[in-house]
Amino acid sequence: MPLIIKDEYPETLFREDGKRLDGRDNNELRPIKMEVGIIKNADGSAYLEWGNNKIFAAVYGPREVHPHHLAKPDKGILRVFYRMATFSVFDRKRPAPGRREKEISMIVADCLEPVLFLELYPGTSFEVFIEVMDADGGTRCASITVAALALADAGIPMKSLVSAIAVGKIDGKKVIDLSGIEDKAGEADLPIAITWYNEEISLLQFDGDMDLNEMNEFLDLAKEFLKSIHNIQLDTLKSKYIKLQEKTSKNKKDEDKKGDK
Amino acid sequence: MEDDEESVEDEFEDFEDEEVSREVVVPGEILTEDVKNFLPGRGTILNKEKTKIISLNIGLKQIKKNYINVIPLRGFYTPHPGDKVIALIVDKNPVKYKCDINAKDFGQLKPKNTVKRGKTRGFRGGSAVQDEISTEKFDIGDILVVKVLSADRLNKPELTTVGKYLGKKTGGIVISVDPPKIPRVIGRNGSMIKMLKNLTKCNIFVTQNGRIWLKGEDIAHERLLIESIYKIASEAHTVGLTDRMQEFIINEKKKRGIE
Repeated sequence: MPLIIKDEYPETLFREDGKRLDGRDNNELRPIKMEVGIIKNADGSAYLEWGNNKIFAAVYGPREVHPHHLAKPDKGILRVFYRMATFSVFDRKRPAPGRREKEISMIVADCLEPVLFLELYPGTSFEVFIEVMDADGGTRCASITVAALALADAGIPMKSLVSAIAVGKIDGKKVIDLSGIEDKAGEADLPIAITWYNEEISLLQFDGDMDLNEMNEFLDLAKEFLKSIHNIQLDTLKSKYIKLQEKTSKNKKDEDKKGDK
Repeated sequence: MEDDEESVEDEFEDFEDEEVSREVVVPGEILTEDVKNFLPGRGTILNKEKTKIISLNIGLKQIKKNYINVIPLRGFYTPHPGDKVIALIVDKNPVKYKCDINAKDFGQLKPKNTVKRGKTRGFRGGSAVQDEISTEKFDIGDILVVKVLSADRLNKPELTTVGKYLGKKTGGIVISVDPPKIPRVIGRNGSMIKMLKNLTKCNIFVTQNGRIWLKGEDIAHERLLIESIYKIASEAHTVGLTDRMQEFIINEKKKRGIE
């Protein structure tokens, strides 16, 4: 007889002082840290820490398609492999890809495809490997954000970056960037991804209950915070090169000063 | 062997320009909203409303006449007809060799493209002596310098070893860097490569697919050269690179006590 332990959630998702369980305000993101170019053998790679989420992404391509029958004669294909490590969640995660992994792989691929020029590379594939090392709610949004960053790092022509965030309703209040427990125990959850080229919505999933007016409010709220995530992405990509530039120009200035003296 | 790299230099002239700004741009970044005076060039695109010019790559912004270009810092090699590249034979059968040329497809080297066509006129009354056409000439694992005969999006690139500086390489070391950084290894009018060659006394052959063949007098010089090339690749987007590299090599030589 298997032992079934029911998930226990706290009665309220807010603390006495009005803040959320992890001490955030309603409109406050978890701390985000991004890095690019960390996997040496990949064509492009990125790492993301978003609260307790720790995610690696590696990009390979363009390269031959295996199995060969998946190749399309008129355009390239984008394949995304989203996987969770066995130790990434509280109960051991079975390593075989399940329904959830396949779904997230598909939505991440569909979300990133509009910004790529796949028609320029017929018969080839771009492959994105997303490995979740630690999960705490919102991994699909984090995966999209980090995959876009890795694609840009690989030097693949893109119309723009893609950013994603989840908004939701917990205990009847609008909150941004839901954590694991808020995701499970909350009332509604709405992950949104946006392509910055023409600012179109690339992903919109919905779980829970809310009315149409609330939905519009959520979309407006999300856009504000998507911009700040986009800025972090841009800074991460640039800083790698700008740091070196500053360092060399600084050395040069020092030498010039010495020469003047 | 001495002037090997010069044939490759000429094709990179358009990469090097005086007016390359050192402004790093990323995909989706707006380069300008002034579409009346500027046109989208390499690595850029107009948005749907045709009001902005947007970058497609991570690279350096360049304004050339009225075109806005983005010179990429990362990317992959796409073969073009006429390119000289370093290939590694990975497979062979009686019909063709399969070569890794660091592109999305393997290159195909047919045996008829590995031997020089004999002149139709030989001795009077006799036929010209021709090399036998077979795939016995090279082995798996050989390093070849080849020229791309034909390449497009759909078909596998076809290669040849007949021509100046082409053929099998024996000895030396092959290293690879990011293909977009090759122009910096060559430098403006070949200034960087001449400097490297003079200071380290090595033979260098730089090819467009990011592979560099080098052979020096001793291992100490070769090692110094390899380190310098990797340093150039990592600092490709900075100003005054040639002078800095010259200083670096002279200092390192003193430190290591070579020469």
